Amino acid sequence: MDINYFKSLIIILFFTQSVCSQTNIPSIYIKTINGKSINSKSTLNLDGLTVYSFWATWCIPCINELDAIHNEFEKWEEANIKLVAVSTDDSRTKRRVKPLINGKNWKFEIVLDENQKFKRALNISGVPHTIVVKESEIIYRKIGYKPGDESDLYDFLLKSSKKLIN
Amino acid sequence: MKQKIHLLLILLAFLNCSFTNSQLLKNLTSSYESFSAYYLDDTKTGDFNYNNRFRSNNYLNIKSNIAKNWNLELQIESYAPNALLNYSPNLKDTGISTFKFQYTNEKIDLTIGNFYQQFGSGMILRFWEDRNLGINNSIRGLNANYRINDQINITALYGAQKKGFKYSKGYVLGIDTEIDVSKIFKNNSTLILGLSYVGRNDNKTTGTTYKNTTNLYSARLDFSSSSYYSNIEIISKSKDPIMQFEKFSDNFVKKGSAFLFNTGFIKNGFGIDVTFRRLENMSIYSERDAFGNTFNESIINYLPALTKQHDYSLTNIYTYQSQPNVSFVDPELIKVGETGLQLDLYYFLKKKSYLGGKYGTNLSLNASLWNNIDGDFDFNNKNYKTNFFGSGEKYFSEISLEIRKKWSPKVDNIILFVNQFYNKKYIEEKFGEINSKILVIETTYKLNKNKSLKLDLQNMSTKDDTKNWLAVGLEYNLNSDLSLYVSDMYNYGNTIKERKIHYYNFGASYNKGINRYTINYGRQRGGLICYGGICRYVPESNGLSFGVITSFF
Repeated sequence: MDINYFKSLIIILFFTQSVCSQTNIPSIYIKTINGKSINSKSTLNLDGLTVYSFWATWCIPCINELDAIHNEFEKWEEANIKLVAVSTDDSRTKRRVKPLINGKNWKFEIVLDENQKFKRALNISGVPHTIVVKESEIIYRKIGYKPGDESDLYDFLLKSSKKLIN
Repeated sequence: MKQKIHLLLILLAFLNCSFTNSQLLKNLTSSYESFSAYYLDDTKTGDFNYNNRFRSNNYLNIKSNIAKNWNLELQIESYAPNALLNYSPNLKDTGISTFKFQYTNEKIDLTIGNFYQQFGSGMILRFWEDRNLGINNSIRGLNANYRINDQINITALYGAQKKGFKYSKGYVLGIDTEIDVSKIFKNNSTLILGLSYVGRNDNKTTGTTYKNTTNLYSARLDFSSSSYYSNIEIISKSKDPIMQFEKFSDNFVKKGSAFLFNTGFIKNGFGIDVTFRRLENMSIYSERDAFGNTFNESIINYLPALTKQHDYSLTNIYTYQSQPNVSFVDPELIKVGETGLQLDLYYFLKKKSYLGGKYGTNLSLNASLWNNIDGDFDFNNKNYKTNFFGSGEKYFSEISLEIRKKWSPKVDNIILFVNQFYNKKYIEEKFGEINSKILVIETTYKLNKNKSLKLDLQNMSTKDDTKNWLAVGLEYNLNSDLSLYVSDMYNYGNTIKERKIHYYNFGASYNKGINRYTINYGRQRGGLICYGGICRYVPESNGLSFGVITSFF
């Protein structure tokens, strides 16, 4: 296949993206922190907002992001925002998840996506990656984390959640 | 191939123009990732001695939910004019890399085409993709998963394994059953039992003392309660010939085995986790002659190094790689696998306590020790007998202590100390042993809401190999989108004057929503590049590199 075809394919996708910007959370089997299989859709907060934060125990910016959210989590709960932290650790580092959350005292839901099926289904290439879902539709995505991003995210969530109430 | 692409382009254009409200288009998502480099000659590390200075790896993935329960996925990859340095030669030109057609409902998941899969911890079977390492060992064939009820889940798969744009000559058959027996507990504890079978058929390498099909059986048990967890996994591999100096012999045929035990306890900010693993002659490839290839191709199972996964450049110079194989290089260098353990301790010093300070302090300690398996080795007759307990020569050991401390709303620190032993003779089948000590101090200073500075200082002190190293990194986040960095690694202790090289890098990254663009100029240290316990060798190089990551959703 010629490289030009590859380029044209990407250009076509660029132009079609505006038309196809509605996507729901895919139905994938992931695991709870205790190893039980659950469907990704069962983690949705159906009458409010759900934030999926893809992370890993070895990813320092991911942990910084979750720590920053943890410090303001009461505000999130008051606004009926659910946070699901999806660990993409594979069998090499998966065993660090439980002790790590215990030490951090994080109160949000943690799920395991060990062979990254959920991550792949959402076209996520690296962590941290944040996805905001309203009812069951994706309304926002972001790659990466820098200090301060958590307050921008919270402002966005608050705005979207007000729209939801109205 | 060209015709196929024509058809694809027409199909996409057609969908774009006519079916804007169709299910296919409405649920079309895609992602694009590109890593390119322009390599330059370097006065210190040498000239660029390969063809094509410009090299590029590109991945385009398209998914569509074509109808209720039906999904299509296609991945096109392009390595033009060449793949980045030290990617497999099977990755060349542009073509369809993976394709799948999937039916799913609450009970059934049926895939025809390429799929990824994992049984248990992956020690018996794992198919996955890691673009940094050039790994995509998906299977092209059939994958069927049936959830009988909430307790029982069965998976069966069959197919040939992807190898660049080609496929393995051998075939893989896998069956896995997972049974959730947590109902026996009255509390929230879980107990999950797993049984797997994997068969690899390779008709290309045949012999009189072994069969074309190699069989692997595994059993695992996973227990978890609110503060305690434990799991065990045992694998047995049938007789398989051992490759020595790129040849198989009818007289050197051995069974393999794996044993993994992990347990942990967590309570009130304290956590302990211990893992013991023993691997004997355990690697398995979809075709026998792929054994030991440096591109991680045709791997059926996942046997990562169980050591701390480090983030800093100096902590990744002497990275342990697991040693699951039999190797009779000379009478003084015989390996039949590895045995060892890893311990993690975590402790959170509470906020407002004497040692915790205003914000609390996180402490984590990691220790690991890996050795050869103990046994009687007969080098001349190519034979051995192993003992389950006991251990042979030390491959690797490491103790590291990490302290994460926030001092004020503006300043926090990470301090890491590592004491390492790396047996280069056994791990890399080269010469020497390295004892080293590494200290890392990272400071983040928040200037205002979105602006921050991060500085890391690293030092490695060792009397062995290339001696002492120093590294510095500075990152400046201008706002939530743009960040600039500069870093340098310097082998100041090297006794050879010409090898006292600065591996400097500087660049920028720009993130906006789901788009990420990166640019870097600098010198790459040759050696192992490791992600998730798997490593790839890269040569020293100098150049300008760019990256693009984006999704259309």
